[in-house]
Formats: sequence, C-alpha cells, structure tokens
Amino acid sequence: MGAFILRRFGVMILTALCLTFVVFFLTNLFPNLEKLAKTQGNARMTDEEVVSWLDRNGYGGSMISRYGEWLGVVPGWTRVDEETGEITGRCIDFGMDPADAPARCGLLQGDLGFSTVSDDEVSNIIGGRLQLTGILMFWAFALMVPAALLVGVLAGMREGSRLDRSLSTMSIASTATPEYVSGVIFIVFLASSQAGLSPLLVEWGWLDSGTLFLGSARSAMDDITFWNFTLPVVTIALYGMGYIARMTRASMAEVMTAQYIRTARLKGVSFRKIVLRHALRNALIAPFTVIMLQFPWLLTGVVIVETLFNYNGFGWTLVQAASNNDIELLLSCSIVAVFVVLVTQLISDIGYVFLNPRIRIA
Amino acid sequence: MKDFTHVQTQKGLTSHPVAEMYAREHKEGKLDRREFLVRSTALGLSAAAAYSLIGATPAAADGHRAVPAAGGTLRIQQEVRALKDPRTYDWSQMANVTRGFLEYLIQYNADGSFEGVLLDSWEANEDATVYTLNVRQGVSFNNGDPFTAEDVAANFIGWCDSTVEGNSMATRMGGLVDPDTGVAREGAIEVVDEYTVRVTYPAPDITLVPGIADYPSAVQHRDLIGTNPADHGVGTGAYEITSYEVGVGATLTRKADHEYWGEAYLDEVQFVDLGQDPAAWFAGAEADEFDMTYETVGEFVDLFAAIGWTQSEVTTAATVVIRPNQNNAPYDDVRVRQAIAMACDNQVMLDLGINGQGVTAQNHHVCPIHPEYADVPALAFDPAAAQALLEESGNADFEFELISIDDDYRKNTTDAVAAQLRDAGFNVTRTIIPGSTFWNDWANYPFSSTNWNHRELGVQVLNLAYRSGVPWNESGFANEEFDALLDQANGIQDADARREVMAQIETIMVNEGVTIQPYWRSLFRHYKAGIVNADMHPKFEINVHYLGFEA
Repeated sequence: MGAFILRRFGVMILTALCLTFVVFFLTNLFPNLEKLAKTQGNARMTDEEVVSWLDRNGYGGSMISRYGEWLGVVPGWTRVDEETGEITGRCIDFGMDPADAPARCGLLQGDLGFSTVSDDEVSNIIGGRLQLTGILMFWAFALMVPAALLVGVLAGMREGSRLDRSLSTMSIASTATPEYVSGVIFIVFLASSQAGLSPLLVEWGWLDSGTLFLGSARSAMDDITFWNFTLPVVTIALYGMGYIARMTRASMAEVMTAQYIRTARLKGVSFRKIVLRHALRNALIAPFTVIMLQFPWLLTGVVIVETLFNYNGFGWTLVQAASNNDIELLLSCSIVAVFVVLVTQLISDIGYVFLNPRIRIA
Repeated sequence: MKDFTHVQTQKGLTSHPVAEMYAREHKEGKLDRREFLVRSTALGLSAAAAYSLIGATPAAADGHRAVPAAGGTLRIQQEVRALKDPRTYDWSQMANVTRGFLEYLIQYNADGSFEGVLLDSWEANEDATVYTLNVRQGVSFNNGDPFTAEDVAANFIGWCDSTVEGNSMATRMGGLVDPDTGVAREGAIEVVDEYTVRVTYPAPDITLVPGIADYPSAVQHRDLIGTNPADHGVGTGAYEITSYEVGVGATLTRKADHEYWGEAYLDEVQFVDLGQDPAAWFAGAEADEFDMTYETVGEFVDLFAAIGWTQSEVTTAATVVIRPNQNNAPYDDVRVRQAIAMACDNQVMLDLGINGQGVTAQNHHVCPIHPEYADVPALAFDPAAAQALLEESGNADFEFELISIDDDYRKNTTDAVAAQLRDAGFNVTRTIIPGSTFWNDWANYPFSSTNWNHRELGVQVLNLAYRSGVPWNESGFANEEFDALLDQANGIQDADARREVMAQIETIMVNEGVTIQPYWRSLFRHYKAGIVNADMHPKFEINVHYLGFEA
C-alpha cells in the first residue's frame, strides 16, 4: 500500500508539472501578454507601450526561464531603472530593500506568486476562496448524497414498479438539467419579486414583502442563512443527485436479483429486513466510486453556480483568473484542481479496497 | 452635535472680460446656460459669479447639493478593480473608490460648471495661455504633510510625462508636453509662492480645466507620484481603505486621526462588486445587498423603478461609434464610407441598441450639450442611394466584417447597423469578440464599434480620436484641413466665429463619412429613498464626501 501511495504522489507531481506548463504556455502567448499589459496598464495603450510595459514588469525573458522563476529553480528577474536607479524585481515587494530580497521566489520556496488582477499575493487569495467553496460543497454534499442514495435505493428495491419509474424519471430529468438552466429557473421562480411564486405569496398575505429565497448568495459569504444559501446548494445538489441515484438504483436492482436475496425471501424474511440487512451494504459499493468522482467535478462544477449566484469562491476565482489572464493565480488554481482530483482518486481507490474484499488480493 | 449648516463657499474670479462677453452672448441667445457655465467657470469664474453674470441664482442650479445627516453606512454596487497609478486609470470605478482619499483640483458638476476642490480658485488670462491656480489653504495629507503649490506642480509634471505607459493625462495636458522630450515643457509649470502655481501654454488652450477635472487626474502626494495609492493610502480626503478585494468589494472608513479640510458625512462606504451582468445586480438589489447602483442599464432601468427605487437620469455625450478604419480597403474610399452612413438610420440604432434611452446624433461626434455644437445634419438616410454609391465604388460584392465587443448595448447597436446594411444590400458578417480580448486591437479593426465617454467640450474627443496620427485615432482619419480647423477651434473665440469653425469641422466629419455615431446615451442610476447627493453624474463620478442619508 505504501509503494502504491508513493507512486500515486509521483504521478501527481508529474501531472501538476505538465498541466501547469500547459497553462503557463497558453497564458504566456503574446496576445495574452498584450491583453495583460492592457488590463494592467491602460486599455488603450499603444503597441510600443505594451512592449515597454511587458519588459518593465518581467515578461520580457524567455518563456522557459520565466516558468523556472515561477517554479523557483531560476533566480527571479531584477531590473534597474536607468533614470532613477531604482531596482525592481520579481522577489522585491513594494517598500522592500532590494538587498534583503531572496534570489529565488517560486513554488519550491512556498511562494505561489502574485495575482496581477487582484494586486495581491496568490496565497492570500486562494485560501479564503477555497474555504468558501468548501462550505458550499459541504452543504451540497450533505444534501445530495443522502437524498441520492435514498432515491436510488427506493427505486432499485422493486425494479419496474410505479415508484421506480417515477423516481427514475425524476433522476434522469435532474441529471439532464445543467446548473445554468436549473439555477435560472429557481431564481425566476423563487427569488424574484416580479415573477414566479413570490408575488403570489405576497398577494395571498403569506409573505410580507420581497422574495421567498434570495437570488444572490453574496451575503452568505459572511453569514449563511436558509434564505441566501438554499438556491445555490439545491442547484448544485440536484445536478449530481440524479447520477448517483441512477448508479445506486442499478446496483440495488442487481443485488436484489442475487441468489442470496432470493434465498432469504424464500425463507420468509420480511422485505424491509432484506433491504436493510442484506442488500444495502453490497449495493453501496458502486455508488461510492461515483460519489468520490463528484468531488473534482464539484470543484469545477461550482464555477457556474458561484458565478450565477455571485458567491466569490474558488470556481468564481478560476473564471476571473482565466478571463483576465491572471497567470500566476491561474497556475495556482490548476495545482489545486490537480491535487483535488488525484487525492479523491486515491481515497476512492483505497476506500474501494476496504469495501470490496475481492480487490484486496489483487 | 456638530454644526452642518456651514456650506463651503465657492471662491474664484468675480469677473473676466471674456466671461462677460459670454454673458452677453447668453443673453442674446447665442449660448445656452450649460454652455455659458462650462466656458466661464473654465476661465476661473466661480459658479456663483457665473450665475450672477446672467442674473440667475446658484440655489436654482442643478449642481446644488443638500446637506445630509452625519453618520451611517452606504453600500454602492460597483465594480471593484485593482488600483494602479492614478494617471493610468482607465475606469471611472477606480477613481470613485480612491476619491475617498485622493481628491481632485477641480470637479465637474452635472450642470456644466467647474468647481474648485483642492484649488480655491483659478484664473485664465484673456487669450487662455496663462492660468494662475490658487491652491486651497489649510489642507493637509493624512500623513500630516501640508498640501501646497509644490504638490500641485509635481502632479502637473507627472501628468505631462508621456513616457509613462498608459498615462492618458499626457494627452489631456496638450501643449504643456514638449513633443521632443515627451515630458513637461521647460518653464511651463511654475511655483509662484506656497499657494500659487502658474501654468503657461505656448498656444491658447481651453481644455486645461476640463482635463484636470477628469478622473485620472487624482492628486497624489509630491513624493508618491507614479505609485499605486492602494499601497500607501496617502491623500487629502476624509476616508481610508480598510478592505479591498478585487472583484468582490471594498470598504472606505473615515480616517480617525485625520482632520479633513471639508465636510464628510458617512462613517463608512462599501463598494459591492456583483460582476458585469445587470441581472445579477437586480438579484442583488432584491436580496438587499446594496443601496445604490453605479449605473443602471437597458430594461433594468424600468425594473429598478418598479421595485420602488429612486431614479436619476442625466443626458450625456457618452456614445458609441461604429467606424470604418480608413487604413483598410475598401474603407479608404469615401464613397464606401458615405454609403455605410446613408444605409443606417440613427433612430433605429437608438431604439434597438439602447432601448430608446437617449437622443439621436448626427455622425459628427459633437453633442448638443457641448458649448461649441453646431447643428450640422448627418447624410440623409437613403438605402437605395447607399447601394448605388457602393456599386459605383465597385465594392458591391465586398464582404463587410463588422466587429463588436460582446456586451449588451454595444453589441445590440452594432447588430442594428449590420441588419440595416444587409437591408440596403451589403454583404455583412458579424464578429463578436469577448470583452477580455476586444481591447487588444480596438484601434486597428477594419470596421468595428467602440464606446466613448462624455467629455465637457466638443473639441476634446475630436483631439483624442480624429486628429491625424494620434494613438486613439481608430478611424484612421487623417485630414490636414480638419487638423488645422481643430487647432483654430482649440483657442478661445467669439461664440459665432467658433461655431462657424465647428460647423466646418462637423461638415468634414459628416461628408467624409468618418464614423456612424448614432446617439447620445442617457445615463441612469437608482438608489433607495432617503439617500442624498447620489444623483447620476454625466461622467459616472461618485464623490463619497457628499453622500449621506437625509437629515
């Protein structure tokens, strides 16, 4: 097991290196650098000004050496202003004496770099953002997993029954509706004072004023309430729920046709006991992998929901970084994404071994 | 209880020979009131004196401000962008946040008058070549240093430095910049005494005052010019930044140990960034996440009014141009450009592009609210003639590619142009480029649309965008006669003579088919009841020192 985990970590580091290099390469193509100079300098800069800006801010050297600087294996750039004699550089912060600055400052030194758009250290930004997304994901999971398992088990108990058909239809519908559709429907239907349910409720006197739920989760960043967090959580949970429910149903239906279940039934064990005692554990092996797969999906899946509901988490940051060509923030985001994908895969592989004894031997 | 009945008295010249001439012209009906105010206050007349010259009382003026109660927190929905050297600001939003501590020498009011902020008063000599600036006394920076003429002069020198990339102030400083060295002319900016600065132009120039009232001209401490104010927070205003997260929000709080020279009412101002989608802003308003919008656009104007918010509207010289670039074939042929202009009905663009929220324009980029406006009509709308002209030029089969940014009104207006060109028989392909990359090449696209903000004087945009070879000349327009007339118009003239020059300039713009400039936008802002001095400003300015809640 130790060698297995070690090998996994090796693959993880290699993947992260490849991925970040691809991101680095794409974000450092000249048109992207030009865009960066124009957003940082002035939107209506001339071409000469762009070149001079790039040179002055350390984007002049070769792409490989700059990637090295970001990794921390090559010393950071420095530049001396010919007129004022002022020294600026990658590792020299505002107001810092150039003599005190370290030679290298990159990933290896624990420095994630500088976000050009936010004008702040990437490490200052990423932590808080991940935490916000973590909270959103936690609640989405807390709603999605139990609900999906319940629906799946209920549907799979008696294959082909009326209950199975209606629950299956629901699951397929929820999986077939992406977040950007369901989210908008929820907002229009539940969170608008002009359309949907809220004006009706106000008219009937069930609601004082305003809306049933809030269509913006911005206030949830400071203070989560039922009103401001329900819609984003439900929007995420609904999309993933159908998929897990379908997998659980298939697994459950298969288990219910197994020999030992038939034996139990013939022996006169009640249906309730068969489901709870005999079928359930075996039926949950397959959904477990699917549930673990939801983590990396959620991390990027929250992009839409966070943007739609204005919840400034990791997904939102990723979009901002990409659209603004914020190179180092985007690189850090990809590292986080690689980390989450591979760690959840690791957990699911290990967990699977514990759930299914047959794999332990292999 | 602090006494808030004291209202800042405006200082300035009580009279000026040219202003008196303007006053006569106003009474004769040659100048309207706004035009008179822009011109006379730019010369250094106080708004009060200007109003009295024409027999009006300033209390009736649009720019008159109420006195709010002290205290409270106001939340403003507005983009929060990363700050940088103020000279390179390219969004009014940046200035609205820093205006809490970085003030301006002069401000532009919605009624057209200029008012001193860090300047007590200013005066121009008769031919507008020498300006004497009187610095407000008793102002200090929040680090304890006094604010003096040295700071003003240092800022002027910084503004004139065209070697700084993206320094748009250098264009506004005009003749003060030495074309050979790219920095301020020797002796152009003089410190006369501790509170007086003299600025000398080689040729008459009336754009100095509007130029330094624009948002990139925030006044920095003399030692901190060229730095990012977010790094040091030094300024003369009453507030300080206590939190700043790009794309999320910012908080300004009254700085405790700083004695502010003027009055400030709110304890705290929060900027709430809800992105660029107006639907998200509206959702935010319904979720009670802010009290006032930066700008309300399109159909959301009616929606905000429907949920009971107060509406504030201002007509401006903000606009969109859909221009061919004359450096590209076939747009170098004047017949093609005229055909394009004749195929489009500006009223249709106004209706389809911005929901009819504005007034139509005449393709010459000078607005009726500009002092020097002359009523020169656009080429008549005639699709058949346009098609005939296009065939005559031999480009009937040319595939026109019309480019726009991917956003609400600019995209819709450009769509309307494309549809009308198609109706007139042109082959048109539409290309939409996302906002993040659109600006990479904005001045070089062969045929595309761009938005332009309001400026006080008609000559300002013409100087920036249509003079031969200037960096922002996106139409590739180069016309010696036009340049010469513009030079002439930049000096002070008798109203009639000046309008004659302007009429010639506008006629050239129209006849050369330089651009389709279909309408002037009305700008809207909404705020909750009980908020004072929050009205929409033609240049999107928000001055947090004036804001407050009803007493």
